[in-house]
Amino acid sequence: MQADIIQTLMGAISSLAFAILFGVRNRKALISIVVGSAIGWAAYIVCQHAGYGKTFGMLASGLTIAAWSEILARIIKTPVVVMLGPMLIPEFPGGGLYYAMYSLIEGDTAHFGETLKLVLAEAGAIALGIIIAAYVAGFLTNLRKAYARKKHR
Amino acid sequence: MEEQVNVQKTQLSIGLSSAMNAGELLLTYGAEVSRVEDTVQRIGRACGFDRVDVFTITSYIAATAFLPDGTTMTESRRIKARVTGLGKVEEVNALSRHFCHGEISMEEFRDELRRVRLEKTAPWWLDLLMYMVISFSLSIFLGGTFPDGIASALSGMVLYGMICMSAHLQMNSLIQTSICSAVTAIAVLLLVRLGIGVHPDKIMIGNIMLVIPGMQLTNSLRDMINGDTVSGVLNLSEAILKAVSVALGFAIVLLAGG
Repeated sequence: MQADIIQTLMGAISSLAFAILFGVRNRKALISIVVGSAIGWAAYIVCQHAGYGKTFGMLASGLTIAAWSEILARIIKTPVVVMLGPMLIPEFPGGGLYYAMYSLIEGDTAHFGETLKLVLAEAGAIALGIIIAAYVAGFLTNLRKAYARKKHR
Repeated sequence: MEEQVNVQKTQLSIGLSSAMNAGELLLTYGAEVSRVEDTVQRIGRACGFDRVDVFTITSYIAATAFLPDGTTMTESRRIKARVTGLGKVEEVNALSRHFCHGEISMEEFRDELRRVRLEKTAPWWLDLLMYMVISFSLSIFLGGTFPDGIASALSGMVLYGMICMSAHLQMNSLIQTSICSAVTAIAVLLLVRLGIGVHPDKIMIGNIMLVIPGMQLTNSLRDMINGDTVSGVLNLSEAILKAVSVALGFAIVLLAGG
């Protein structure tokens, strides 16, 4: 439990640091990035404790973060990428990439294949999360526009 | 009458240039293609063009604007290098919103865009500090101990130095990325030899996260969802090449110095 909290905290700190590194100075955006990053990782941890696999956890986490940035970006009127990028980078499987490459140079092809598969699955899960959130957001926006048009007529 | 039309045309051409400048800034500093096209189109319409056709890929913007009298104007921009500067994306976005709502005039808009372009980036020490904070926190995030985090922050300094040097020499090729990664890996191995940090893998992962093209990957996905498949694929392949060159840089050192 304590390890989980430390991990979530560290993830949130790194998201904040990425945002500052990328030149985000809008205080509202910075606060929502920190909070969203923590919530996203908490979603992953909850899935882990509930007994779901790593890939499913990543999907849940990616989806949470993407949904959070789609909503918050509309509220504080900032581009979605500004929110999404810094929150998502800590989730990317940089660790898996490292281990895949390490086993490749050690000549352990079996382990290489396994790790690479995991990296691709995790990256794919995050991607799917972003795609779903972006689709739903676009759907709702266009629905509202279509409704407004109809009313206008 | 003739003179009046000419004045109007000059005004419109300033408007199109401003729209393209805004698009260029957005694309350079990491916005998605669809946002660039949307922004250029909106600004163009707000300037008084009948119709604006914009085509954008990751390195190029072209726009043709149709005047009410039936003539057209065309401008294009070639984007050579892209960096992530989300703060500027945010500012340009806000400016274009103000302009389209008629809150600022065309001249103000043009001057504000110039200000955003010339605006100084963060001081070097802040970037360095962020590199250290990110290395430290992500090293621990991915399973390292506290001393690993400290070591990662130190090798993050080396990485920042290397990246600054590359930027100064204007060498941003894939090989340069590999070399930056390799030097960082050497620094990590030396730190572990010196007794700072225990797990070289956890330390290096903290640094890798700084150079993996996460923003590009995110953008490529969003481009593809929006239907800009060409830009999505371009971005994705660029991101994969960069990830491979990062991995290669670390691998060369590990192979040599284990």
